[in-house]
Amino acid sequence: MDNPAFELKGVYFSYLGKFPALRGVDMHIEQGKKITVIGANGSGKSTLLHMLDGLIFPDKGVFKAFGREFKENDFNDEEFSGNFRKKVGLVFQNPDAQLFCPTVKEDILFGPLHLGVQKKEIEKRLEEVLGILEIKDLLDRSPHQLSVGEKRKVAIASSLMINPDVLILDEPTAGLDPLTTRRIIDLLIQANEAGKTIITSTHDLHIVEEISDIVYVFSQEKKIVKSGQPDVILEDTALLQANNLVHIHSHGHKGKTHIHPHLHIEHHPEH
Amino acid sequence: MHKNNFVERSIMGALSFLKESIFADEYALRKGFLQSLDPRIKTVTFMLFIVQIILAKHTLILLCLYALCLLLTHISKINLGFFLKRTWIFIPLFSLFIAIPALFSIFTPGEALAAFNLIGLKFTITRQGLSGAALFVMRVITSVSFAVLLNITTRHFELLKVLRILKIPQIFVMTVGMCYRYVYLFVEIIENTYIAVKSRVGTKIHYKSGQRLAAWNMAFLWQRSHQLNEEVYKAMLSRGYRGEPASLDDFTVKTKDWLWASLAVIIFVLTAYFDYWLKA
Repeated sequence: MDNPAFELKGVYFSYLGKFPALRGVDMHIEQGKKITVIGANGSGKSTLLHMLDGLIFPDKGVFKAFGREFKENDFNDEEFSGNFRKKVGLVFQNPDAQLFCPTVKEDILFGPLHLGVQKKEIEKRLEEVLGILEIKDLLDRSPHQLSVGEKRKVAIASSLMINPDVLILDEPTAGLDPLTTRRIIDLLIQANEAGKTIITSTHDLHIVEEISDIVYVFSQEKKIVKSGQPDVILEDTALLQANNLVHIHSHGHKGKTHIHPHLHIEHHPEH
Repeated sequence: MHKNNFVERSIMGALSFLKESIFADEYALRKGFLQSLDPRIKTVTFMLFIVQIILAKHTLILLCLYALCLLLTHISKINLGFFLKRTWIFIPLFSLFIAIPALFSIFTPGEALAAFNLIGLKFTITRQGLSGAALFVMRVITSVSFAVLLNITTRHFELLKVLRILKIPQIFVMTVGMCYRYVYLFVEIIENTYIAVKSRVGTKIHYKSGQRLAAWNMAFLWQRSHQLNEEVYKAMLSRGYRGEPASLDDFTVKTKDWLWASLAVIIFVLTAYFDYWLKA
């Protein structure tokens, strides 16, 4: 069944017209899938996610969302813009950029209020989202009073409140403790089971398998070098090493010293 | 801290003042009388008192209103010593110096109370001058006290919401709210930078290096704020912002608020009546 959320063909993008960030990217993302984008720092992942959220537009190439090609001017149409924003939600890499209101509650309500969602519906969604993320006691606090994990949860809540069909997350587990990371992964899996398309960029290879149907690997040349199922990508050690995603690691294990690539996946089958 | 390092001392002092005075919601979170009121009703009633303070012609009326302010401070669980320090520090600066010339016969002619010679000039303090200056200082003290009391018993985001309800343009209120949000972030960046510098070079920094660091810090902060500005705008667009801010009014007015509003109106009417009666 061909039901694309996004299609990119030969997409180029550069900042200020001279600092290339994407160099000929091709992608085909089906609705309802879990997609992960992996790559080293500065490989173009965040730029790609901003483009998928309609915040920046290609210098060259074709960008289609929900079967329709669109350009920057299309966003001048209030109806088109509103519909797109209701369908796609982005959780920014830097929660301090995403949480710009004086209180958590205002930040969480910002999206639905600006997209014209009815008050009753907003209240219903708020109850649900607060319950899922367990952040009810943070509502009246100011974002600067929150820990990194709490900020990340509130940022996710502010995007979930829009109830988008496609949820895009830019390194949602960076710098988080294992328990919070686990909760966020569970949340993404649940959202996907409810029919949402989940697109995540990450460096955490140990979460990739759970949150991906398809993995795209970005290289330092700011293009996709490989895509495929997570098990295939994660087993390709040479590819991961070449793209700064694994390093050689030495550690003691049951009285022996092991030297192997640091993969965060099963590497001691003999034990 | 090195005695020559005035740049660092000034910055750290300014930062801790900012944190204590703007961001500490310590008193606003206490369970006192004023904290329990609806911020809109509280703001409107305090504005009513301030209008009365401006209109009052008698020091006695102002004293009564000041006593009311101190009573409200007490029942709102605010340390009276802290409150007096907060309100009296700036009053000599802003009002006493302005009021001093009014004491003398040159500006306010009338019945002489006392006279003295200074650098060959004769100065006479008049009864009318003294009463005019006292009225002016009392007016400033009382209105500043009410304004400070409103400020410390109400959380800043609630005050911002009240501005919105008072028909102040939304875009203005939103911009102030964002400033409030990001000033703290920048304060933390500056603090962390100074801690990082200390961890590498120790506590003794030559004042010239200190000045260079401060200049570098300003440049870095400007660059950081510029980057953040773009990111924040994208985050706003991403959640449907199209230049027209929207907000949810979630205040609730309780019986207690209406009772307080009624009492405030009665106080307003009574003080206005007595002020008129005292004049007659």
